Amino acid sequence: MKKRLEFELLFLFLLLLLLPLSVMAGEISGYAEAKGFAYAERWPGRDNRGLGWGTLFTKWEEMLGETQFTASLRGEGITSGEQQGALDFDPADRRLRRSPVSVRDLWLRIPLNSTHDLQLGRFQLGWGKTDGYSPADAFLPRDLTDPFADEKLPLWALRLNGYSGALRYEAVAVPVTTPWRLPPLGSRNAPVHTRSFPAGTDFNEVASTPPDIGFAAVRLQSTFGDWELGGWGRAGVHPAPILNFRVGLATPTATGFSIPVERRYAREEAVGVELSRILGPWIVRGESAALFSRDRDLGNALIGAVCVEKCFGNGTFLVTVAGNAISPPVDTAQLYDRALLPAVIASWNRTEEWGEWKLVWSAGLKHGDGMLKAEAGYNLTDLWKVTLGGELPYGSEEGPFGAITASRRVHVALRRSW
Amino acid sequence: MRRNISFRIIYLRIMTAVILSTFCASFAWAGPDARTLLKESEQRHRTKTQQYAGELTVVNKNGKVRKKGWKSFREGYAGDAKNLIRFIDPPEVKGVGFLSLAKPGGQNPDQWLYLPSMKRERRIATQDRDSSFVGTDFSYEDMEEFDHVKHKVELHGEQLVDNFPCYVIEAFPFEKNGKSVYEKKIIYLRKDNLYLLREDLYRKGEKEPGKRMILSDLQQIGGHWVAQKMEMKDLKKGSTTTVLLKEIIFDKPQPVSRFTLQNLNREGGD
Repeated sequence: MKKRLEFELLFLFLLLLLLPLSVMAGEISGYAEAKGFAYAERWPGRDNRGLGWGTLFTKWEEMLGETQFTASLRGEGITSGEQQGALDFDPADRRLRRSPVSVRDLWLRIPLNSTHDLQLGRFQLGWGKTDGYSPADAFLPRDLTDPFADEKLPLWALRLNGYSGALRYEAVAVPVTTPWRLPPLGSRNAPVHTRSFPAGTDFNEVASTPPDIGFAAVRLQSTFGDWELGGWGRAGVHPAPILNFRVGLATPTATGFSIPVERRYAREEAVGVELSRILGPWIVRGESAALFSRDRDLGNALIGAVCVEKCFGNGTFLVTVAGNAISPPVDTAQLYDRALLPAVIASWNRTEEWGEWKLVWSAGLKHGDGMLKAEAGYNLTDLWKVTLGGELPYGSEEGPFGAITASRRVHVALRRSW
Repeated sequence: MRRNISFRIIYLRIMTAVILSTFCASFAWAGPDARTLLKESEQRHRTKTQQYAGELTVVNKNGKVRKKGWKSFREGYAGDAKNLIRFIDPPEVKGVGFLSLAKPGGQNPDQWLYLPSMKRERRIATQDRDSSFVGTDFSYEDMEEFDHVKHKVELHGEQLVDNFPCYVIEAFPFEKNGKSVYEKKIIYLRKDNLYLLREDLYRKGEKEPGKRMILSDLQQIGGHWVAQKMEMKDLKKGSTTTVLLKEIIFDKPQPVSRFTLQNLNREGGD
C-alpha cells in the first residue's frame, strides 16, 4: 500500500511538471484509430467472431532549453471486456489487464555535457541488432493482449548514455518491474489444452504483485569500418511471468473446476555480444547471449540469432534464425520471450508510392508450427491511412503459434494522424 | 650566302609564329578542363556548415501529392561532409533520422537510418543506396553532394540551362573504393558562378537518364550562393520531389555531438 502511494505521488509529481509547461509551444502529435477484427471462428463461450478496437493517442514534445521533455497518453476501448481492465491507476503497467488509459511516455532527457545524456522517466527501450528475434531485446516486457501486435511496454527507468570516439555506452536502471502482460488464460489468444485439464475447467488468474525491483543493464557499442560490435550485461528480474497452476486449490464450479493461477518472477543474469557487418549487398547481424537463472523453471539459456538483410529497390528481404542451445526445464511455451525457439523468421516488406506492405513468415522449428502474416497500408492522404491485414497461425498446438489457431483473423484499420 | 641566311631567319620566324599561333589557338579551343572547373566550383561554394528546413512535395505520376518536412544539418562539403537529416512531418515519418558520414579515399559514406518505432538505428548497406529515401525520389546516394574526386570527368562543351550558359561535364564514377548506383552523370555548371544547376543521372546499362536533379531560385545568403529549390525527377516513374530550402544558415558552428550515432538515436532531438 505504501509502495503504491509512492508510485502515485511520483506520477502526480511528474504530471504536475506538465502543468506550468502547457503554455509553451510544444509539438503535439498523435492519432485516432478504429480497428476491426474478424476471426475465422468463435471461441465457444468466450470470444465472438468480431472484435472492435478504438485508440486515441497523443504525444507532446517540448524542448526546455537543452532538455527534451516528452509525454504521451493513450486511451482505448476494446469491445471484448475480458481483454481490457477497469479504468484504473496503473502507471507501470503492472495489472493483469490493460487499463483504458495509460501513459506511454513521460520522460526528460538532460544533456550532462556534449557527449553524455541522462534520461529519466517512462520510456521504451530498443536493444539488439537482429530483427525478428533479438536476445538482447526479447526479454523486455511485451503486452500480448493482442498476441500478434508485438507491442513493447515502456519502462520507468533511468538511462545514462554517452560516447567517446567510436565507443558508445549506455547504463540503464529500471527500479520497478513492468511484467509481460498475457492474454486472458483460456481465451482464444491463450488457450490451455483441455488434455491437461478436464473439460469445463476455467482459470482464476490471481493478481499477484510483481517484484518492485526491476533490472540494471549496461551496453557498449562501437563501429569499425563495416563492422559494428557490441556487448551487454544485465541483472535483475526476468519480467516474463512463470505461471503456477494451483491444481490443489481448484474449486468445483457448475461446469467443472476453477483453478487458481499464480504468477512468479525469476531473477536472471545475462551477458551478450552483438555484431553486424556489411558483406557486399547484404547486412549480416548476429547476437548471442548467455542467460543464467537458478530458478527451477527458467533455468539457463544460451541463445543465438543470425539475421541477414538485403534490399531490392524499395523492398527489404530479411531472414533470422534463432535458437537456444540449452533445453529449458519446462515447456518453452511457458517461457514467453523464448517460446518460439528454435525458429526461423522471414520477412519481405516494400515501400510503394501508395503506401507499404509486408509479408512475414515465422516458423517454430521444434513443433512445426508457425504463422503467416500479411499487411498492406494505403495512404489516403498524408494524414489518413487504411491498413488491411491478416494473421494465419498454423501447425501443432504444442507450439506457441499452433496453440492459437483459433485466433486466425483479418483486420482493417483506419487511422487519422496529426 | 647572305641571301641564304636571310631566308633561314624568315623561315624560323614563320615557323615560330606558326607554332605559337597553333599553341595559342589550341589553348583557346580547349578552354578550362573539367577537373579545374569542378575544383574551382567546390572551392567557391564550400561552406563550413549549412543547415536548413526543407519543405518537400512528392508528386507521383498520377498527380497525387504528398508533403514532408525535414531539418538538414551539414558539416564539411562533398568528400568530407557529415550530414544529419531529421524528418519533422508528416506524423508517419516524424522523428526518422538519417546520418551520413563521409569516408576518406573516395569510399562511399557510412549511412544509418533511425526509426522511432524501433528505437534504434539501422545501417544502410552500400548496395542499398538506390532505395528510395523515405518515400521521396531521392535515393540514399542522391543524398550525397557531388564529389568530383570520386569521378573521371570530361568537359563536353556548353549549353543553356534555364537561360544561363553552363559548362556541360560528364562524370563517370571510379568505383574503385565504392560502388555507385550510376554509370554516368552529366553535370551542368553555371558559367558565371560555377554553381551546379542540373544533374542528369544514368543508371547502369541505361542509355537515357533515369533521374534529373534541377537546382533553381539561386540566392546569395551569408555570402554564399544557394539554390532555394531542388527538384529530383524520376524520369522512369514520372514522379518529382521538390525541396524548398527555408531558414538557410551557413557556417554556424554545429554541436560536437550533432553528427554522431548517439545523437541520431536521440528521440525528439535534432
